Amino acid sequence: MIIDDEPDIRTYLMAILEDNGFSVCTVLDNTEVKKGVLSEKPDLIILDIMMPQRSGISIYKELRTCSALNAIPVALISGMMPEKDFIEKEFPALVDDKSVSPPDGYIEKPVQVEKLVALVTQLVEERG
Amino acid sequence: MPEKIKLMDWIREHLFNVVPMSIAVIDRDFNLVYANKPFEEKFGKWKGKKCFSVYKSSTTMCLNCKGAEAFQDGKPRVNEEIGFDKSGKLTKYIKHTMPVVDSDGSIPFLVEMATDITEASIIKKEYQLLFDQVPCSILVIDRNFRIVRTNKKIRETFGDLTGKYCYSSLKGFNDKCLECTARDTFSDGEMHTGNHVWRTKDGEDIHSHVSTVPLFKEDGTFDMVMEMAVDITHTLELEDELKIAYSFMETMIATAIDGIIAIDIEGDIIIFNKAARDIFNIHDKRKMTKIELEVLLPEGFMAQVLLGPGHVYLPEAYVKTIDDDKKPVRLSGNKIEFGDGKSGMAFSIQDLRELKRLESEKLEAERMAAVGQTVAGLAHGVKNLITGLEGGMYMMNSGMKKGDVDRIQKGLEMLDRNILRVSTFVKEFLNFSKGRKIKVGECEPGKIARDVVELYASQAGKFSVELICETDDNIMPALMDGEGIHECLTNLVGNAIDACRMSDNQGGNHVWVKTHEKDDVIVYEVVDDGCGMDYEVKKKVFTNFFTTKGLGGTGIGLLTTKKIVQEHGGKIELQSEEGKGTTFRIRLPRNRLPKPESIDI
Repeated sequence: MIIDDEPDIRTYLMAILEDNGFSVCTVLDNTEVKKGVLSEKPDLIILDIMMPQRSGISIYKELRTCSALNAIPVALISGMMPEKDFIEKEFPALVDDKSVSPPDGYIEKPVQVEKLVALVTQLVEERG
Repeated sequence: MPEKIKLMDWIREHLFNVVPMSIAVIDRDFNLVYANKPFEEKFGKWKGKKCFSVYKSSTTMCLNCKGAEAFQDGKPRVNEEIGFDKSGKLTKYIKHTMPVVDSDGSIPFLVEMATDITEASIIKKEYQLLFDQVPCSILVIDRNFRIVRTNKKIRETFGDLTGKYCYSSLKGFNDKCLECTARDTFSDGEMHTGNHVWRTKDGEDIHSHVSTVPLFKEDGTFDMVMEMAVDITHTLELEDELKIAYSFMETMIATAIDGIIAIDIEGDIIIFNKAARDIFNIHDKRKMTKIELEVLLPEGFMAQVLLGPGHVYLPEAYVKTIDDDKKPVRLSGNKIEFGDGKSGMAFSIQDLRELKRLESEKLEAERMAAVGQTVAGLAHGVKNLITGLEGGMYMMNSGMKKGDVDRIQKGLEMLDRNILRVSTFVKEFLNFSKGRKIKVGECEPGKIARDVVELYASQAGKFSVELICETDDNIMPALMDGEGIHECLTNLVGNAIDACRMSDNQGGNHVWVKTHEKDDVIVYEVVDDGCGMDYEVKKKVFTNFFTTKGLGGTGIGLLTTKKIVQEHGGKIELQSEEGKGTTFRIRLPRNRLPKPESIDI
């Protein structure tokens, strides 16, 4: 499942993943994420951080604190900074809650197609 | 010799009764046998009475009775006595006692003559009291400069100096002083004054202001001089302190960083310090007049100080220099009242050029910092754009491989859209980093808001957002950069409409643009009931190229808005609640609004 407010990015990511044999869905209204995830039961969620109305971080917190959802792996996507900086500095600062575990993966914009496919493949396989 | 008999009669009958003293005759048993009229007037009835009962109201003879002694030795004597007059009042008198010696040597009578000295002794007592208690030192000196008498104050300070030389006992000198007021008085009989330093028995120096006067005798000559001295040590100390305080103040004024000017009651300029001279470009030592100064100060300023409540403060004003230049200053004027409706003035003038330079440097530094921050954030914006472009490329390439025309078409559209965004982004970024010098002019704050509302009316209508303008008509025109404020409101209204579009209940949203003024603060509010923001978004709103609009925005709008508001000395505040709406409030205090580059003094 891809959650990104920007249609061009959504189209792009969906095309890549579909071309690599995954079936992809999305939630258009990001205030209804929980409902969408519960009904779709995805194997992986790719979540944009910077979105209007409700940021990816707040959605991430909701996913992680909901017992029905917290087993679904989540990869965050952002153009803010490289993976290392994000996981070590930005993520703890943004979340500001030590009980929330870090994401299962991180995708930096611009997206490198091979890396994205490899990460998604790995996370989906790990889930079995 | 009838004349002689007549004279004797007159002497017996009258003289005794007209001499200005009491005369009485007593016999050996102290019976009063004769007394004259003044006696009777003073002591009352006497006939058949004993002397002690009349003089002293006593029933027994006096101890040490001088009369008894005179009856014994037959010698006359004079002594002071205290008795009571006929009304019982204490009276003091000098009594001459003269025995009347008979031819056989016996003494049958005494003649007593009493002169009342009650009044004189009171005066003497008063004089002594005055002499001792007067709050100055008094001494009497003879022609050899020996001290004859001193008063209590001298005795307390110097001990008993009687018989000593004044110069040695008061100053510790071996010889007479070079300057001596007593000597001057001895030589010309006039009063002389001078200052002396006396040393007390405790070794302490007393500064004395001394006057010497001759003590004339009945015959017009004098052998003694009275020296009266007032201790002026404390006065001199105060004078010294005053001098120090004055010179301290003078130094402070002379070296003050701010210009200080004072005008006295007569309208003369009595203080015009160096800083003030520098501000007005007065580089010579010329004396300024009040009229010359009035021309240099803002028009009517002096009158305002004199006629108003006494204090006028202009945080930013312009003064003229004598070479007809002008300078930005902070000016404060105070009326100084001297009573009787008379007043002077004091001005304090701060040169604001340096402050202005620092302010503009600070503003520039802030702008540069914002640009720096922006450049860091730029990467983020560019990455989003690149992702969009790459997405377009991917769709094109994969579409071509698959022969999927739809996909190719989608890719082309993505490329088109993102290329347009790149150009918008670059333009906005350049515009921001370049900075725009604000152009200040008189604006109607309400009109700017109405213009922006009009501008957005059709766009709001397109998204079914109701755009409402609420403007208080009583706001006076203000000096602002109209275009800048217009840009701020454009950004905020644009954002508000976007927020409504992103809201759940699309179609029934509102955007209010409110303008009002309270306590000299012009307030703009852009309120929407759109999607609102959560904590993470609010935190970043004013920072760098933050956008929640994905590729729809560059994140520059609010940054620019904040910059313009700051350039107007104002503040921008944000209140937002996720799902409920957002309020942006711009507060522009009138006294902080920018000043135009040129202003008429």
